[in-house]
Amino acid sequence: MSNRTLTLLMGAVAFLILAVAAVFGIVLLGGGGDDDGTDSASPDATRTPRSSSSSSGICQGKSLIVPGNEPASVFDPIQVTDVSTSEYVVEIFGGLVTINRDLEVEGDLAESWDISPDGKTYTFKLRNNILFHDDTRVTAHDVKYSIERAADPKNASPTVRAYLGNIAGVNDKFTNKSGEVSGVKVVDDRTLTITLIEPSDFFLEELTYPVSYVVQQEQVEGDARNWTRKPIGTGPFKVAEYKVAEVIRLTKNDRYHLGAPKLDEVVFELGGGSISTRYENDEIHIGFVPAVDLDAIKGGNSPLSAEYKAIPNMATSYIQLNTKVAPFDDPKVRQAFAMTIDREQINEVLLYGYYQVADGFLPPDMPGYKESVSSYDFDPVRAKQLLSESKYATNMPRITMSYGGSTGDTPDILVAMQEGWKEALGIEVQLQVLDSAAYLREQRTGKFQMSADGWSADYPDPENFLGKLFGGNSPLNYTGYKNDQVDALLEQARTESSREKRYELYTQAEQIFMDDAAIIPTFWPVDHLLVKPCVVDYPAASMTIPKYRYIDIKED
Amino acid sequence: MGPGLTGYLIRRVLWAVPVLFIISVAVFWIVRAAPGDPVDSILGRDFYSEEQAEQLRDKYGYSDPLPVQYWKWLKNFSQGDLGISTRHRDFTANEIILPKMRISATLGIIALVITFGLGIPVGIYAALARGTILDPLMISTWLMIDAIPYFVMIPVIQWLLAIKLGLIGLGYEGLTSPNIIVPILLLSLPAVAGVARIMRASILSVIDEDYVRTARSKGLRESTVIFTHVARNAMLPMITVIGLSLPGLAGGSLFVELFFGIPGIARESLDAVLAPDFDVILALTMISSILFVVANILIDIAYAIIDPRVRLGEARG
Amino acid sequence: MAIAESAELFQVEHARPREQRRWLRVLLGKKLAMCALAYLAVFYLAGIFAPLVATHDPTKTEISVEARLAGSSSEHWFGTDRLGRDIYSRVVYAARTTIIFTFAVLITGGVFLGLGLGLLAGYRGGWIDTAIMRVGEILAGLPTLIMMLAITAAFRTHINNLSFDLADATWLSVDEARTLVKFVIIVGATVPFAWVGSARIVRSQALAIRELPYVTAAEAAGASTPRILARHIFPGVLPLFVVGLSAGMAGIAGAEVGLSFLGLGIDPPTSSFGNLISEGAGARFFEQFPHVLIFSSLPVIFFFFAWNLLGDALVDILEPRANQR
Repeated sequence: MSNRTLTLLMGAVAFLILAVAAVFGIVLLGGGGDDDGTDSASPDATRTPRSSSSSSGICQGKSLIVPGNEPASVFDPIQVTDVSTSEYVVEIFGGLVTINRDLEVEGDLAESWDISPDGKTYTFKLRNNILFHDDTRVTAHDVKYSIERAADPKNASPTVRAYLGNIAGVNDKFTNKSGEVSGVKVVDDRTLTITLIEPSDFFLEELTYPVSYVVQQEQVEGDARNWTRKPIGTGPFKVAEYKVAEVIRLTKNDRYHLGAPKLDEVVFELGGGSISTRYENDEIHIGFVPAVDLDAIKGGNSPLSAEYKAIPNMATSYIQLNTKVAPFDDPKVRQAFAMTIDREQINEVLLYGYYQVADGFLPPDMPGYKESVSSYDFDPVRAKQLLSESKYATNMPRITMSYGGSTGDTPDILVAMQEGWKEALGIEVQLQVLDSAAYLREQRTGKFQMSADGWSADYPDPENFLGKLFGGNSPLNYTGYKNDQVDALLEQARTESSREKRYELYTQAEQIFMDDAAIIPTFWPVDHLLVKPCVVDYPAASMTIPKYRYIDIKED
Repeated sequence: MGPGLTGYLIRRVLWAVPVLFIISVAVFWIVRAAPGDPVDSILGRDFYSEEQAEQLRDKYGYSDPLPVQYWKWLKNFSQGDLGISTRHRDFTANEIILPKMRISATLGIIALVITFGLGIPVGIYAALARGTILDPLMISTWLMIDAIPYFVMIPVIQWLLAIKLGLIGLGYEGLTSPNIIVPILLLSLPAVAGVARIMRASILSVIDEDYVRTARSKGLRESTVIFTHVARNAMLPMITVIGLSLPGLAGGSLFVELFFGIPGIARESLDAVLAPDFDVILALTMISSILFVVANILIDIAYAIIDPRVRLGEARG
Repeated sequence: MAIAESAELFQVEHARPREQRRWLRVLLGKKLAMCALAYLAVFYLAGIFAPLVATHDPTKTEISVEARLAGSSSEHWFGTDRLGRDIYSRVVYAARTTIIFTFAVLITGGVFLGLGLGLLAGYRGGWIDTAIMRVGEILAGLPTLIMMLAITAAFRTHINNLSFDLADATWLSVDEARTLVKFVIIVGATVPFAWVGSARIVRSQALAIRELPYVTAAEAAGASTPRILARHIFPGVLPLFVVGLSAGMAGIAGAEVGLSFLGLGIDPPTSSFGNLISEGAGARFFEQFPHVLIFSSLPVIFFFFAWNLLGDALVDILEPRANQR
């Protein structure tokens, strides 16, 4: 071995040491200068990120690259319950109706529909140019098949009863009392009637939910085990590739009946890594604003400000209190807890103003949202007084707040709440993490005293939040909350046909519900996105809709 | 290979069977006897019903008694069917594990070659050039680098290379993209000094043995002495080190995969444990244990071939 | 990539009881090792007397824009974290966490299982030896990372129930019981994999010493087993055992730091270097708030480095051929 080689090797080792030393040196020296002020924006603004217009290549062509979420479920419309999977399912499949970018119901497979005067029978007229991804024709029979498949108990759809239960015969089929769904009738290839048990002003909204989407009988029955990997739907995009934890590639459906997508493909990168850095490096088209940069970017102080978009999420995060167990069976304790979460402060300090403080349960983008509804403001003095009036004033039991976590870290927000309660009420709340499966299991058994949770809209109607979640008899009501007055209002709202009146009833129910504090709404999440300038017509929809068909990439 | 070696190997392999059996029973019991089952995560919270749960339990074989479940699992496993993934519901455990293991192993092997390719020559040189600056340099480099956890080193290096200098992208774009260079270097370079140190120590431990002195006294050229007598014997501990790092190749490096978004097996292990994804945990554990046993047998064979004097079975205390 | 440390490097064929006094002299002569010792002394003192050394309550949050992630100042020497907690005080308490954890692992895994089982296997031999070594082989065959993750993940959902029970049964407060339970879980996840290496070293040493003339002589003279173990075997085994432990110290402490980094070890509000570092570890975060990562990682990096140096120096002294001639 020659001496030269050895010198090279020595150099490599020495380089390593120097590199480590240099990095720490630079940071220690540089860090000292920056640390005087807390205006975190300045280091960001002084940096010179590469300008997006010179982006090497990602703005050429029609391939949109976005960070994606790993689907938690399969691409089967009747199995989907989570946002991460429905994001893909709504692009691949379609139903009779869909939601457009303005969150209005519009025809998808159906081009028009009539509602009978009693509000119970819907007659859908299908389009005549509708095709599956494999170019076979979609008929009314396919729609009926898909709904019956959803209701088939063998397929164990977790959502069919909640979203389609109002269709006559769905429950009979699901409980094996009948072989078919009597309420769905094929008149001819292009005409279908659906009969409801009771009139409903939000039935069309419910129909936009994936559970009624149309699947192809031939494929589903021909390849029962594997069809969901390359499902044949009717949506604007088809699945071209799915590599777990790596990539999901959707390619456009040229013959999509509502107009072919302008993009050739959408590439969802599932790998993770630092999304904001990758955005700045022109590796992806859509990025998220890191919380610490939000002020700078919002305030226009950053070169990225022009690419910034805030899109509210039709969702609410909240603390759920179990009204059946001590100490939360006493409304005064619940109210005291609600008054001692300083949500403004948590949002401003921990979240850098990322979210909106939830002053009510319905998120602002929800139709029927009323600003007049309000949750309890931060008021430690009043809280302390309420607590002393409660029946647990002197004998407060131990309290555990549970939360589901698929990552290890304790969320700062919960720690801040924990500290807040300790400080304002002198109550020590223990935090308990559960893996998501255990969380669901324990929640179902009603063992939790309090838990951190959230709900996001399935369709734009207040019923989805208030009726589904907090009716006294709703299976999703984990608070044990039951108030006859609220139940009566919800019941009335469910069958009321005037939309204005329904919204009014929901508002009343919501306010009573807020006053009783069975849940403490905390935040309305907001997505703060960065979108490359060459990406045009990005829909600012606050819920999961088929959105990629609107988007185009135009080089400037 | 003499008859003694063959017999010894047969005993080793036979011994591996009960070891693996005990491991599989223990792990199966730990994973499956825990309260709850995958049905909870499959059904989600919103629309659970007992009947649906029962159907799914039957479908996935969770309603049988544990011994029956174990027997079914063992039968499938021995045929190469690792079970189903409950975290990625559309995929079998094979489809989840094998591609990811391939990614991790590819990175690991490249890194291993670099590490030992650099570490062994540096170690030999350091042993021959005793007393130069290389000695303390190499040792303290190793001791220092060994003290910096990956999760401190990586963000700093990412910041330096990607943000400050803009040299690389941080995303994973496949094993052929230049982005992969940094993770490979992070997997290999920190270990170089460690390998060199061990190599140096084992050279020094044989260089004054009688047979080396004899060889020298016979007037053989110094290079011949070093490469035929010294290096050959000094390679023995290296074999153990290399051999024992082989099972780790299939396990991946958690922090490198986490920070660089590499869809490797270590990340999957963490996610599987947190989910929990029962069959995937089981399969990962078993594959790793089998590789460990195999690696140990390979080490023994290598010892026997390189140095027939080594008494089998006592090679590694 | 983890390089498995070969046990052979630490093995000597003969015990050198007479040379023990030489140790200290040589060690004192090594400057770097002395620096390491000094640092460790500071680290341990700071950890043990944490309440006196810390300037703030490490769990006291101050949620305000001014207090959040502030850089170092005369009030907060190492700055503050996201929740406005004093990083210096959290580091001091994290040192305490590391000390308690390593001590617990050393006692249970090192002394009790490693030394105890190693001596037993080496001296008694026979089926006891076989059984102990085979159990060790099985444990060594398990993938350590997955098993440690699985154990901590399985138990973390029961932390509250366990600590409530414990608080009811003892005089401990819920918070103390909770901390204790967390320690027990993570120690329990580490120990099964921490003893095998040192038991092997001890066993092979004990095997060698057992055959030495003065031991066989003592046996012939009718000395009892405990006496032989205590007077002859133990002193011979001890040096290598200590070297093995100090060389492995960084690895043991690192296990807790790594698990806590992933959120599976000691979690906030209790400080641990792992959860302190995880707050600052991110390229973008590091760019803007370098003080969080630097100040929370350097103390523990130096701790690992010091133990590595010390272990290396001890190997040197015991086995001079290995490093220095």
